[in-house]
Amino acid sequence: MGFLITTLIFIVTGVIASLLVRICCNRGPSGNLFHLTLVITATVCCWMMWAIVYLAQMKPLIVPILSEGE
Amino acid sequence: MEFFDNLPAMDLMRSEKMTFVQLIIPFESAHRAISYLGELGLLQFRDLNDDKSPFQRTFVNQVKRCGEMSRKLRFFKDQINKASLLPLTHPTLQPDIDLEELETQLAEHETELVEMNANGEKLRQTYNELLEFKMVLQKAGGFLVSAQSHKVTEDRELEENLYLNNDYIERASLLEQEMQPGPSNQAGLRFISGIICKSKILRFERMLFRATRGNMFFNQAPAEEYVMDPVLAEKVLSRLSELEATLDAGIRHRNTALNSIGSHLKKWTDMVRKEKAVYDTLNMLNFDVTKKCLVGEGWCPIFAKPQIQEVLQRATFDSNSQVGIIFHVMDAVESPPTYFRTNKFTHAFQEIVDAYGVARYQEANPVVYTVITYPFLFAVMFGDWGHGICLLLGALILIARERRLGSQKLGSFMELAFGGRYVILLMAVFSIYCGLIYNEFFSVPFHIFGLSAYKCRDSTCSDARTTGLIKYRDTYPFGVDPSWRGNRSELPFLNSLKMKMSILFGVAQMNLGIILSYFNARFFASSLDIRYQFVPQMIFFNSLFGYLALLILIKWCTGSQADLYHVMIYMFLSPTDDIGDNQLLWAQRPLQILLLLLAIVAVPWMLFPKPLILRKIHIERFQGRTYGLLGTSEMDLDSELGSARQRHEEFNFSEVLVHQMIHAIEFVLGAVSNTASYLRLWALSLAHSELSTVFYEKVLLLAWGFDNILIRLAGLAVFAFATAFILLMMETLSAFLHALRLHWVEFMGKFYFADGYKFRPFSFASLPEEDD
Repeated sequence: MGFLITTLIFIVTGVIASLLVRICCNRGPSGNLFHLTLVITATVCCWMMWAIVYLAQMKPLIVPILSEGE
Repeated sequence: MEFFDNLPAMDLMRSEKMTFVQLIIPFESAHRAISYLGELGLLQFRDLNDDKSPFQRTFVNQVKRCGEMSRKLRFFKDQINKASLLPLTHPTLQPDIDLEELETQLAEHETELVEMNANGEKLRQTYNELLEFKMVLQKAGGFLVSAQSHKVTEDRELEENLYLNNDYIERASLLEQEMQPGPSNQAGLRFISGIICKSKILRFERMLFRATRGNMFFNQAPAEEYVMDPVLAEKVLSRLSELEATLDAGIRHRNTALNSIGSHLKKWTDMVRKEKAVYDTLNMLNFDVTKKCLVGEGWCPIFAKPQIQEVLQRATFDSNSQVGIIFHVMDAVESPPTYFRTNKFTHAFQEIVDAYGVARYQEANPVVYTVITYPFLFAVMFGDWGHGICLLLGALILIARERRLGSQKLGSFMELAFGGRYVILLMAVFSIYCGLIYNEFFSVPFHIFGLSAYKCRDSTCSDARTTGLIKYRDTYPFGVDPSWRGNRSELPFLNSLKMKMSILFGVAQMNLGIILSYFNARFFASSLDIRYQFVPQMIFFNSLFGYLALLILIKWCTGSQADLYHVMIYMFLSPTDDIGDNQLLWAQRPLQILLLLLAIVAVPWMLFPKPLILRKIHIERFQGRTYGLLGTSEMDLDSELGSARQRHEEFNFSEVLVHQMIHAIEFVLGAVSNTASYLRLWALSLAHSELSTVFYEKVLLLAWGFDNILIRLAGLAVFAFATAFILLMMETLSAFLHALRLHWVEFMGKFYFADGYKFRPFSFASLPEEDD
């Protein structure tokens, strides 16, 4: 469940960011589309990064083995 | 797909629409029109007089005069620099002067300056000779110990002769002095004194010895202060002081003249530069002698047409010409130049992409995605939020001082850093994000997002060093669990994670590239490309590497122990074998066989149909038959649209086939090698993490272990230096370079033609500055 909830958080953050960008730098339809593309790309990249690391740790095949002196 | 058609055109996605225009300018308004167009800076002139040498062009005299004037201005600048005067920057309130007036003024100033310099030289020479004479007197006074010198002094005259050569250092001024034959001088003794260079003394002595056959007495002394002869010395000293005064006055006069020139220098230099540029441009126009007007052709963006027309009208009005300037659109054979309207933020990214190649006219611009993916891939290789904060501070400082640094002249390294300040800003922000995910702050993990998910199996933690901890809670919510740092199994886990992450990013970015090639083909209306290039490429790539990405995700989600290397390799080697323990999907074996067949079919699909169909179209066209029913106009030979070459009418089938074969082989082999190339994301992030661990543990912690404050400070200093130079500078450059390579080769290689040329309008703002 943690995965889906955090994914939802990412989506919401993306939507809020694109609204903010639209409000503060409104530059006509072509400019707005460009800004929207940037925000969507950034959101997708960040989400992918997080999701990959999260999925890799969900059902790990190895566990931390402490080394000497820890 | 109509959804994409209905969207407005994105800002930077495709280059501006250009149009080819022709200008017909009457002669009297030509100069004014061109200089106004230079101010506007939106028209690129084509050189219509390409075949003429520079001396055959119309305005060659004016260009020569401008060259002369700029030579004079450079001379003034040199003189000002040599006199070490600071250039004064008066606000130029003086009225604009005409070019001819400027020419005469410059000529006057030059003759004046040259004369002053020559006079100064001569005075200085005289001064130096007198100085030498003074020194000789001092020395000679010391030599002549004999008392008869009294009578002789009154008859001494100053005669200067015998300069061996004009060079001051090598000059030995010999002053012959006749002595009255006194009682002790019946033997005819004479003496000669002078100054000679120290290195030549021995040779001179030997030469004199031989010349006088040994009948000489040679005495020498280094030039220092000595007892002097009063009377003669006074004459010399007074002349010396006169000369000094004259020299000083001369220098002051020259400096005033230079100052007055210096206050105008910048303005004059700018004027001359602009004039030269205007005449160079005028030389590109065709001078139509019969019609007394100039004809010019060039490219301009469509949005700029009204501005240009307004400028031309103003030029006609200002030059009181009866005839207006004609400005109309023409058809062009060659493809237009590429022009992107960038702002200070996107400019640096466009430069990065242009360094690989300038986009073809109106093809998809990778910058739209590069603005985000480039700093992101950098951050994947750099991920450490402590270092990210340092980079952020640096970028913010550069941006805060934008205006000041922008007007200065910077060294080459600072200029690169300043030009890329927004790139660095984004890189820093993403590095902080990736650092939080990798959980590294100068390689130290933190428990920012909650408790770790691992703990000992029992309360004694007896087997923590053998079997390890267990996972008792939900996964750590954001990033890598902090328990992993410092373990024995840290590296196997992180390596597996980062390698798979690199493959997933690689597959995603390359798919994006192939999809962009679809949009290109759609824009240029070439359905051949879509059917016989995009589709087989997608099928081939995704049936192999998309499948691998899917397997990775399934393995992670199910926690299976399947060996993915084994699965992929045996998918090719023996696809019909039983999969056994490595089963991840239901019906995996038939699926794998199907994917393998699809991939094999895709290869000839992307190789053969396109050249054959092109050949068929060409034959049909050549035989004058009417075009077929279904949109053969889409499959026009002109799908070579935008290539800078002229359209040829001949069609070389073997050439097209070989070209397509190269393209197909490049894609097929590239699919494997490019995917593997993305493993550099893993490699560099591993290197970064290990380096920062080493510096932290082996330098900082080691030094901190001692109680001595000096050792602690030394350790801190070494840690700071190592972090700043090795991690912040070297690793930044390294990750920058590798992210660049990933973009240029792996991403842009999938869709970018890059055979356009840049739009270079005639603009005063972009004229190169004179070298300082």
